[in-house]
Amino acid sequence: MEDDYYSIDSILAENQKIQCTFKVDVPDMGHLDGGKAGDIKALSKVQIPLWMAYILIYSDYADFTIPPPFAARVRNALNAEPRSVRLSNLVGQGGLWYGFGRMMMHLLNDEPAEELSRVLTETFRARLPEVIDQAQHFASLQASAGSGSRGGDATVAQFREGMDGTERELFQLAQESAKKTKVWYETSERGRR
Amino acid sequence: MALPPSLRTSITPPELELVASEQLVEIVPLVSMERTAFISGAYGPLRPPTKCKVPLWMASNLKLKKKCHIVPPVWLNTDFLQERLTEETTSPSFSEMPFRFAELAKTLLDVAPDDLQNPERIRSLLKDIREARQAKSREGLAKLDHNELLLNNLCAMEINEIRPFFVRGMDVLTKLTREPGQDAMDQT
Repeated sequence: MEDDYYSIDSILAENQKIQCTFKVDVPDMGHLDGGKAGDIKALSKVQIPLWMAYILIYSDYADFTIPPPFAARVRNALNAEPRSVRLSNLVGQGGLWYGFGRMMMHLLNDEPAEELSRVLTETFRARLPEVIDQAQHFASLQASAGSGSRGGDATVAQFREGMDGTERELFQLAQESAKKTKVWYETSERGRR
Repeated sequence: MALPPSLRTSITPPELELVASEQLVEIVPLVSMERTAFISGAYGPLRPPTKCKVPLWMASNLKLKKKCHIVPPVWLNTDFLQERLTEETTSPSFSEMPFRFAELAKTLLDVAPDDLQNPERIRSLLKDIREARQAKSREGLAKLDHNELLLNNLCAMEINEIRPFFVRGMDVLTKLTREPGQDAMDQT
């Protein structure tokens, strides 16, 4: 998600396709749409990965529309209950929804960018306590002699599957640190030496 | 120096314990010792039955060899901890606890339970305090901002536990928050 050219997170986040409408004819680039050769005519819609779309839009060769992961439907669902939306469905299992959103933010003008930023931050803030809660719960499960996966609530497992890449990273960080602390506290009761 | 990935995010609790064991505690020695120079400083002389202040690592070492009795610190007793516990449960902010209370308490409960009055009760009080504080830090998490977050009176072990994901979370929020005046692509 950084602006660093070499950042793996940005590269992965930018791998999503968005719908672009070309403004000019582009000879011999028909294969970008996958399949047919030939030219791209002006006003034809093509699905382009974000990293390519960036340059096209900047150089004013194409226009774009807000892609499905950030459509009105998704925004409404997030307004209603951020924790029930499965972000991994929107961008694929290893996807980075927040990263993608951030790239989109750079493409937009002031007002829609503000709006998108607001959606992203509020969703993140709302989902974060849930992520950390689950991480700490799982840390304690693992520390106490691994009692197997207690699936538990269906919603809980669903949330876990619906986490996007960034949230998974935070989940892992929280789980690790909670586990280390818990293990340390536990060795205290058993009294070594 | 390259650390393995598991150690890159925060200090490990045993390391914190090591740092905490530099703190001085009072002991009643049972053996004599001249004033001796150690790496961290000179301690002693030990003249039983006069009390003496030595670092925790030394106190715990002597205790395990049955060469001293440890005097519990002022805050390690049921009354003080009970008072702090009620404070934790009633007020929304963290109560003041000695910065490294978790490590000190754990070491003393381990090596010298016989020098403390009511060690079981102390253990359970400490556990309750810890859980109350954890609940509060969870609330602090919901207020996470990309700029700053002030949590007063957190102690060493607690800071260490929440540091990795708090910092990463703030990092993510910084990336996602759009500062006014940031240039957008289509602005001419």
